Amino acid sequence: MTGVDLPTPVPAERRLPAAGPSADPIRVWLDLDRRYHLSVYSLGLACCAVEFVALANASPPAADMAGPDPSGVGPPTTGLEAAQVLVVAGTVTDKMAPLVRRVYEAMPEPRYVVSFGACSDSGGPYWDSYSVAKGVGQIVPVDVYVPGCPPPPDALAHGIRLLRDAIADGTVTR
Amino acid sequence: MTVARRRGVIALLEENCTSCMLCARECPDWCIFIESHTEPVMPVMPVTPVMPVVPVTAVTPVTPPAGSGARQRTRNVLDRFAIDYSLCMYCGICVEVCPFDALFWAGEVDYAQVDLRELTHERDRLAGWLAAVPPPPAADPGAAEPGELSTLRGRNTGAGPTR
Amino acid sequence: MTAPGRSDAATDAAQCARELAVLCDGSVTAGFAEPIVDVAADRWVQSLTLARDRLGLGYFDWLSAVDELDQGFSVLCHLARVDLVGPGPQARPLVHLLVRTAVPRDAAALASATAVFSGANWHERETWEMFGIDFPGHPALLPLLLPDGFAGRPLRKDFELSARLARPWPGAKDPARAKGAR
Repeated sequence: MTGVDLPTPVPAERRLPAAGPSADPIRVWLDLDRRYHLSVYSLGLACCAVEFVALANASPPAADMAGPDPSGVGPPTTGLEAAQVLVVAGTVTDKMAPLVRRVYEAMPEPRYVVSFGACSDSGGPYWDSYSVAKGVGQIVPVDVYVPGCPPPPDALAHGIRLLRDAIADGTVTR
Repeated sequence: MTVARRRGVIALLEENCTSCMLCARECPDWCIFIESHTEPVMPVMPVTPVMPVVPVTAVTPVTPPAGSGARQRTRNVLDRFAIDYSLCMYCGICVEVCPFDALFWAGEVDYAQVDLRELTHERDRLAGWLAAVPPPPAADPGAAEPGELSTLRGRNTGAGPTR
Repeated sequence: MTAPGRSDAATDAAQCARELAVLCDGSVTAGFAEPIVDVAADRWVQSLTLARDRLGLGYFDWLSAVDELDQGFSVLCHLARVDLVGPGPQARPLVHLLVRTAVPRDAAALASATAVFSGANWHERETWEMFGIDFPGHPALLPLLLPDGFAGRPLRKDFELSARLARPWPGAKDPARAKGAR
């Protein structure tokens, strides 16, 4: 068997803070902003929308939605042009699918999608329906899948933290 | 944070599972995947203070007496037990229907994934969730004593609930 | 129990159903939560009009159908009497009942109820879309919920869900029949 040239690993002390598999220095600088501030836009299609609202309007504000801070995610945005993360919360029916696609395409890059709840993960309890898409992954590319029916608000916070960490270490790239 | 009786992920206690398939059949989402096969029942080797040094190689299964009409005794061996949490709607029908108490609510909700296939939890991950299963709620102080305890205390006369 | 002099919702509903059956030449059966008045299909609009005008059943709740296989389709309409419901000495209990008719499977059609209750418009559109029952007299029988280009009548019992055909049922496995069984 012929030998394979593996890339020389970068020594730890010289590695950039947010390096990933395809780290590019300019990209890393651009991504640093997203490490600390991700603006979230919720596409509430069904019951999971209520759980999203519960997290967004939590009183006292949930640590992840209170505003830009080292651990956090920005407050939910109402404008698509400022959105970075699209949270699809609810069942994606065949009739709604083109509209979900339009919302995704109206977002500027870089954009990420979090599938929230069983219905948007895989169709959930309605997987066998005559008019439900088997997950929003059939319509748009998805970065994080949050299981639950519905997932409680802290599961969404965990999912968004997972997305933020995956962006920071380059596991997801857009 | 795990609260008692919170509906989160479901844990599997594999020792209790007999592959009866009831959970897989009752699941409305078809999200439980069980594969198993049958094996003949082997005799239980008695443990004596002095075990033979030579290992026993030829072990024959327990065979029914000749002429009895009974078939070979078999037991179910679980090969695969998986729950697809991308489909699961946390209704709890599987937990309730299991006759052997092999499924438990574990209450954890933080297991989002980047890859959808990672949301199908196999046996080892389901067993790992057992650590998160909260203790059962305390018995009602006004309830009758459970049969197991009353038998132990010699109070079970077979005449109904005892205190 | 209700105070003497005040009527009970269930008895009122049963009474109302009997009166409607007499007016429309129909029959009464006990349903799960409310009485069901069966009427002939050619007296459908007339029955609904009498229910609204003579018996005060002026609240139209829903109209839909059930696929009864060999018996064709049953079209049901849920009506309620809501006037004078509430607190107070003059209050009357809420009375509701189902009006039902049978429609044959081939050439399924029933006169539209939109002339009696304009709220039946979308309900009849949905029933047409899901079961294929025609409602002559309806202003515009257009699809309501299904996406464009959808083929078939989904709520008919002979409509096959392609997802269930494509995916094997995990509960069909049997340990005794598995490979490796000894």
